[in-house]
Amino acid sequence: MIGQTQKPLEEILGYLQGKEKVVLVGCGGCATVFHTGGEPEVKEMADTLSKHGKNILATVAPPFGEFTCYAPWSKERLSKYRQEIKECDAILMLSCGDGLQVVRELIIEEEFGLQKPIYPATNPIGHMGGGPSLFKEKCQQCGECELGRLAGICPFTQCPKGFLNGPCGGVTKDGKCEVDPERDCAWVMIYERLKAFGEFDRLREMREPKDWSKMQRPRKIEVAPLSLE
Amino acid sequence: MTSLQQVLAKGEFAVTAEVAPPKGTDTAEMMENAEFLRGKVHAINVTDQQSSVMRLGSLASCRLLKESGFEPVFQLTTRDRNRIALQSDLLSAYALGIENVLCLTGDYVTLGDHPQAKPVFDLDSVSLLMTANRLKEGYDHVGNKLQGRPSFLLGAVVTPGYEPMDLQLLKMQRKVTAGAQFFQTQAVYDPELFRGFMEEAKELGVPVMLGLVLLKSAGMARYMNKNVSGVKVPDSIITEMEETSDKVATSIKITARIIRETREMCQGIHLMTMGWERYVPAILTEVGISI
Repeated sequence: MIGQTQKPLEEILGYLQGKEKVVLVGCGGCATVFHTGGEPEVKEMADTLSKHGKNILATVAPPFGEFTCYAPWSKERLSKYRQEIKECDAILMLSCGDGLQVVRELIIEEEFGLQKPIYPATNPIGHMGGGPSLFKEKCQQCGECELGRLAGICPFTQCPKGFLNGPCGGVTKDGKCEVDPERDCAWVMIYERLKAFGEFDRLREMREPKDWSKMQRPRKIEVAPLSLE
Repeated sequence: MTSLQQVLAKGEFAVTAEVAPPKGTDTAEMMENAEFLRGKVHAINVTDQQSSVMRLGSLASCRLLKESGFEPVFQLTTRDRNRIALQSDLLSAYALGIENVLCLTGDYVTLGDHPQAKPVFDLDSVSLLMTANRLKEGYDHVGNKLQGRPSFLLGAVVTPGYEPMDLQLLKMQRKVTAGAQFFQTQAVYDPELFRGFMEEAKELGVPVMLGLVLLKSAGMARYMNKNVSGVKVPDSIITEMEETSDKVATSIKITARIIRETREMCQGIHLMTMGWERYVPAILTEVGISI
């Protein structure tokens, strides 16, 4: 999921300065889980903006499970609000940056043929898993997963220096990281797990450094469309 | 062949110390500090923006030392440069007559004075050694042939006080496989700990120089114990520093004593002086080491 926090209201009001008629769009995926763009947050934002003199033409809050970043779903839902979107001065997205840009590019521009100012209400902070309350970043989508040789722990993400060749000198006596004493050293964890499996010697294998070209942005992929019937 | 390389190859006891480039362009103090080391050490390490604090470059400082007749050890970290810049700086170093290189990863950026900086860490210490070794063989990292190849003495660091020890030894072994030809250690104040470490490390067959930070006060020792991973100054030494009326004399005495007790275990000593370069001659006289 895409972890996210809400932007300060002042920043949002700054974007909406001079824009009276606003459409709010939330997300039934990650933004619902992180309480930044689910149904309650969309409603609350509508109330807040109304108090600041905004005319809220529509509040679009997809139910849990309906991801705004999935264009087929967004297209279907937003088509019901085509008129309001046409009339509005601005769209406020209570979603991650993927949701915002999918809606901007594939729905508003390509599908509706409109040009509308569109603003974010959240700060995405990374791809993470966990829950229901604590979420942690575990994977950077590097394009070449190393978990198979590293005991299921990604040092590239867990280690601030992204070490792929063993720990640095900055491990504290209790196996924590000097950059963040709350954090366990990824390499100490890898070591302990591989040792428990009797596979410590696998760490002796020399590897070429990370091939960053696999992370050259923006990446894209084409797949067979999912049948949702 | 550098003089450090010759000394290590002959199995003689090698001596290095370090100087730190200034924050700014006034190199007078750095050069004065180096002057205290003239004729006393085989080579002088030049730190690379240590503790992630932005300073004059190690490479330029190495060249200035070289021009003044010193033999520098170019400390190179992977924190601030990607593999293209690192290789380029290695070639630049060789073209400027700098042949000793100490390959490090470097501290994380948030520990320094520019915590907002984007950390690079494209390579780490092991892959930097691997890359530097390829340059020595006449090829760049991806296998392109070089026009003129460098000949480096490649060094690395190791932390004898690190636990778990077998994980540290694994990293050390990887550094040797990658091309490390000598090691300078993180500071060790406990000869018995060092003995235990060396019994394992000597199997790798690469010279190890014991690292020592000159203690300036009991407070500094406590600070290192609390904040520097893998460093443990024993309580007895802290008490000695606390009770002395002459911190310099006591620091010299402690350093000399540790050198005497560990000398037979290793191939050299690396003194991390942190501005106390002037006391290096007294330490070396005390232990009877002259180069």
